[in-house]
Amino acid sequence: MVRRASLVVHPEEFVIIVGSNGSGKTTLLRGLLGFLPPLAGSVSRRAGLRVGYVPQRETLDPLYPLSAFGVALLGAWRDLSFWRVSAARERARARDALVACRADEFASRRYAELSGGQRQRVLLARALATDPELLLLDEPTAGIDPEAEEGILDLLRELREKRGLSIWMVTHHVHAIGARSDRTVSISGGRVLCEAA
Amino acid sequence: MSDFFAADFLFRNAILGGLGIALLCSVVGVYLVLRRLVLIGVALPQASAAGVAAVFFATGHGSGEGHGTHRLALLGSLLTTFAALAGLVAAQRRARAPAEWGIGALFAITSAATILFIALNPKGDIEMSGLLRGELLAITPSDLRVLWGALLVAAVPFFLFRRELLLTSFDPEFARTIGRDPVRYDALLYALIGGSIALGVMEAGPLVVFGFLVLPALAALHLGGGLGAAFAISAAIGSASFLGGFALAYRADLPAGPVCVGVAAACWLAAALAARLRTRHRALSAILALAVVAAAATLPGCSLRGERGLTPLSRGALPAPEPGHAIAVLPFDNQTGEPLHVSADLFWKDVPRALGDPFAAPALTVPDLLEQRAAVELARRGFEVVPIERVRSLVIHPPADPFAAARAAKRAGLDGPVLQGTLRRFTVSGSGVLLVRLELALVDPASKQLLWTGSARRPVPIRAAQTWSEIVLDAGPPIFAEAFGASEPR
Repeated sequence: MVRRASLVVHPEEFVIIVGSNGSGKTTLLRGLLGFLPPLAGSVSRRAGLRVGYVPQRETLDPLYPLSAFGVALLGAWRDLSFWRVSAARERARARDALVACRADEFASRRYAELSGGQRQRVLLARALATDPELLLLDEPTAGIDPEAEEGILDLLRELREKRGLSIWMVTHHVHAIGARSDRTVSISGGRVLCEAA
Repeated sequence: MSDFFAADFLFRNAILGGLGIALLCSVVGVYLVLRRLVLIGVALPQASAAGVAAVFFATGHGSGEGHGTHRLALLGSLLTTFAALAGLVAAQRRARAPAEWGIGALFAITSAATILFIALNPKGDIEMSGLLRGELLAITPSDLRVLWGALLVAAVPFFLFRRELLLTSFDPEFARTIGRDPVRYDALLYALIGGSIALGVMEAGPLVVFGFLVLPALAALHLGGGLGAAFAISAAIGSASFLGGFALAYRADLPAGPVCVGVAAACWLAAALAARLRTRHRALSAILALAVVAAAATLPGCSLRGERGLTPLSRGALPAPEPGHAIAVLPFDNQTGEPLHVSADLFWKDVPRALGDPFAAPALTVPDLLEQRAAVELARRGFEVVPIERVRSLVIHPPADPFAAARAAKRAGLDGPVLQGTLRRFTVSGSGVLLVRLELALVDPASKQLLWTGSARRPVPIRAAQTWSEIVLDAGPPIFAEAFGASEPR
């Protein structure tokens, strides 16, 4: 449970949420996404706000016979109408997202066969394919090597600059990321301890 | 192989019905495997069977109480399937204990309940066990229409919402962020799974349903390709396994369900082998897999009309056949005082009749199976026989005696000789012996002259057979050998 959290999402801001295991980081993120309705207080979102979500990649089952492109394509299905006919447009959007995340070179490979860093890029591409204004990421750099972590962080910064995205990211690695973020939200025992610019 | 689908082929309905169930289960089964719900696929058919057995027990099902009881049986099957599914899904969502605990308990309880309900049921043991094992052989044309209708009804939402089903299965949280409610699409998927299981268990039994839910999907996922390919390959393997297995079972005189599941298991093993070879010998593995599927479907089927089906026999006491005059076997008259229903005469099977279809076929009975068997036995003895379907379309009601048969045939425009049959006794003794009395007459419609009469009265041992269909299949040849006066080859 997270208590007494009062946070505002600003446009084009890169925010990291840090804290130890079980501190409530992911709960806070899920609250922002609307998965967990608040027991008290409220979460206000602008009508029509487009949110892209990158979950922890361990939650996705590698048994599914999907290619990297197939996973990215899932994001392009946001605007599907009942009688969907725009397959070419969806595919183009997924391809663009993969290129933007520098994941196009392994687009045809099975998602299950990719490395941790490559999977993370594909999941990022899927979120980008939803054409988001706000990007929420749940520990995207967990379990990947420092070089791949650097690559993902550079990519996030580049996406924020080129696309004007707001990015909120849950992480343990404050030492590596802190310098790149605009704001750090520190959370412990379900309480937001501080916000630092 | 083309004989499989000929209108006058004895097992045409069984094959087309089983094919429908194999297709439905093998496609739905891909999601069952991907969502790691395989154990649910074991437990739910057993829960469905327990529902059927419970209804039979509660209503004291017997051969004379067919219609209402069977309607309730499907209701019992649907209720227990969906109740069990809802309970398992709710328990899974709460995640207080591993899902397989609940599934294991459900399987143990429903298996025991099924056996106890059968053991405690004082009546209708044969019909009930037949229904629980699946009565593919008893599928009537109207059953077939309803079954394929249900298949099409299931296919429409499955196709229309294929993307949503993938989204919500692969990553439900992401699906929610783009406005797709996983609960709604889970409900759709579970409805498809539950409906397929309840329908399949009533027609083919729990073993076939579980086998076809799991094995073709596993084989397809081994063979690789995308999700669309997995569905297509699973459907192809399911269909091929059923056709190949049915033909093998027919030829080897074995129960169809386990043989079909065995062929599906062979396909799965071949696919697993192909997957191991794939890294080094991609082309070879693909050819191997395709060859296994093709062999499963075609090799046994090509020999379907082999020795067992049409071994020539002497014509015995029957008069010599006249060239150009095919014998029409008219519907057999049931004078046993029992309805002897073979199929589950369920309310959904009466839908065409309820909707006003005057040509909707009634439930299949033992006299109907004997009539079909008579046509096969005449053909074995060198007689040309008018296709049963054609005779059925011309003469609907069974004539009570040879002269009524001659009049009915003349009205129907059948100018060749007609075989009239009256079944006076068809009961199974406690020691596994069939007590039968069947009277047959061959009559010329033009002259109303009796050409030949014969009867079968000897008891027939049927220890291995457990359903009316199997009894007729096993006892048919000796019954007609006695009636026609020609012995069966040993």
